[in-house]
Amino acid sequence: MFDKILIANRGEIALRVERACKELGVATVAVHSTADADAMHVRLADESVCIGAPPAKDSYLNIPAIVAACEITGADAVHPGYGFLAENARFVEILEEHALTFIGPSAEHVRLMGDKIKAKETARTLGIPVVPGSGPVSDFEEARAFAHDIGYPVLVKAAAGGGGRGIKLALFENELEPALLTARNEARAAFGDDTVYLEKYLAHPRHIEVQVLADGQGNAIHLGERDCSLQRRHQKLWEEAPSPALNENERVRIGETVAEAMRELRYRGVGTVEFLYEGGEFYFIEMNTRLQVEHTVTEMITGLDLVIEQIRIAAGAPLSLRQDEVRFNGHAIECRINAENPHTFRPSPGTITHFHPPGGLGVRVDSGAYAGYTIPPYYDSLIGKLIVHARTRNECLMRLKRALGEFVVDGIETTIPLFKSLISEPDIVDGNYDIHWLESHLADQGTRG
Amino acid sequence: MTQQGGSFDKDLIRELAALLDETGLTEIEIEHEGRRVRVARGGRVKPGGSAADHGDHEPRETSRGPTRAEEFIVHPGTVTSPMVGTAYRSAEPSAAPFVEIGSKVTAGQTLLIIEAMKTMNQIPSPRAGTVIAILVEDGQPVEYGEPLAVIEQR
Repeated sequence: MFDKILIANRGEIALRVERACKELGVATVAVHSTADADAMHVRLADESVCIGAPPAKDSYLNIPAIVAACEITGADAVHPGYGFLAENARFVEILEEHALTFIGPSAEHVRLMGDKIKAKETARTLGIPVVPGSGPVSDFEEARAFAHDIGYPVLVKAAAGGGGRGIKLALFENELEPALLTARNEARAAFGDDTVYLEKYLAHPRHIEVQVLADGQGNAIHLGERDCSLQRRHQKLWEEAPSPALNENERVRIGETVAEAMRELRYRGVGTVEFLYEGGEFYFIEMNTRLQVEHTVTEMITGLDLVIEQIRIAAGAPLSLRQDEVRFNGHAIECRINAENPHTFRPSPGTITHFHPPGGLGVRVDSGAYAGYTIPPYYDSLIGKLIVHARTRNECLMRLKRALGEFVVDGIETTIPLFKSLISEPDIVDGNYDIHWLESHLADQGTRG
Repeated sequence: MTQQGGSFDKDLIRELAALLDETGLTEIEIEHEGRRVRVARGGRVKPGGSAADHGDHEPRETSRGPTRAEEFIVHPGTVTSPMVGTAYRSAEPSAAPFVEIGSKVTAGQTLLIIEAMKTMNQIPSPRAGTVIAILVEDGQPVEYGEPLAVIEQR
């Protein structure tokens, strides 16, 4: 085991990692920018080092400063948290060159999954389902045959595309020919290349992701799925496990597919394979080679501490449990408490005057906030996560409602009122939502006034 | 306050103590004709102030005083560290220090070096003047923004 871990992050996740280190008896080093000298992750760490000026590029993304901080404190491993340097393959290599352990996967895997095209190719090779797509289609007959195979609706996309141009939707076969022509013309005009291909279009998918845990020694297990369909501008706001949409067969099938792929890849550490899910089928989006914000809901239903597992694996230990020892227990929901206006989502930095986190059975708050804390304007707006766990989804929703009612954060605006309103929406109560639900709900609220 | 050497100049110490208050520094050390005087405020100074240093894990009052780095930054002649690393006062262990207290320096003259990632970074004096304080020991780890030396403009 490591003697001292440097946590190359800030905010709630730095605190989260510190907690795991303490339970393992490992000393912690917090790093911080000058703007975060008073942050809770700094105050609760065994040691701290100021590594730079407030802009992230000068501090939390400053690789030489982080390596130097390891050198002066004698840290032997680095936990990257999420964001910042967590998926930077060069950072992983530099740490290795300095005989420091990166708590995460190999640089090779970080790089592979960071390249979205290679990641998709790799996923397909490993037997993970991807969105069906054709190669270049030269004429209508070829396109029609392919569309018939994958089923409508289909997208006609410019091979050289980008920025949404040269993309046309065909809901039915009679729309395919015009879509093909228009996409070709747009592609020629925009990119000077009229090569197009077809891809299956998912109209109402859910975002379902599978948590994996692997030891780099050929062992890998899945820890079930999370449903993160409630998003705004690709930012997840509400995550739950298990998904209200999946049945046990689907869970086992996709989980085992992903775990087997990770065994073949000889992946190391925690990872998340993200899918769009529609009509009982899964379509690979990407793989995140790090801990995720919403890892907490998986922890609540499995009883496993994912950060402790991550650290143990990085220290060379094999997996501590087998797939048949993983038990899913109850339901968990996480709400991201952001310092944002709950209607416009405009960031609301400032000083928190009162802070009262909810408590009681099955309630967890991961946050570095406290009364008197001033949220610096330089970083993201996540100030905490409210996670509730109960035996059933219905109990969980009631507990969430109760916990949201107790939560007091004064002095700034937060997303708490948004969650208070969502909890009584019939679609949310029924688990009947897709990745577009929240945005269209917010748009409706906006027009109503 | 600590005193080194036999007889000492009370007026000088008073003057230095006043300077501490004026500049917000916590420590001043001067050396003149073989005599060294160091004036320091109470309170331990150490990089990486942990929660333990604050005596508890409770949130500090918002009306807390400035951090150590901030205290030094108020002096216009304070040179702060532009990076995290290990400070060295000489080019190699056997060599003479780049500067001593009382040294006259020109703008750009190396005051000390900071090693980070096996790279030696020379820290230049931002101005011409006299070194009135050196705030780090040889081989001491330093944080970003940590005061290194004070150069008084003459």
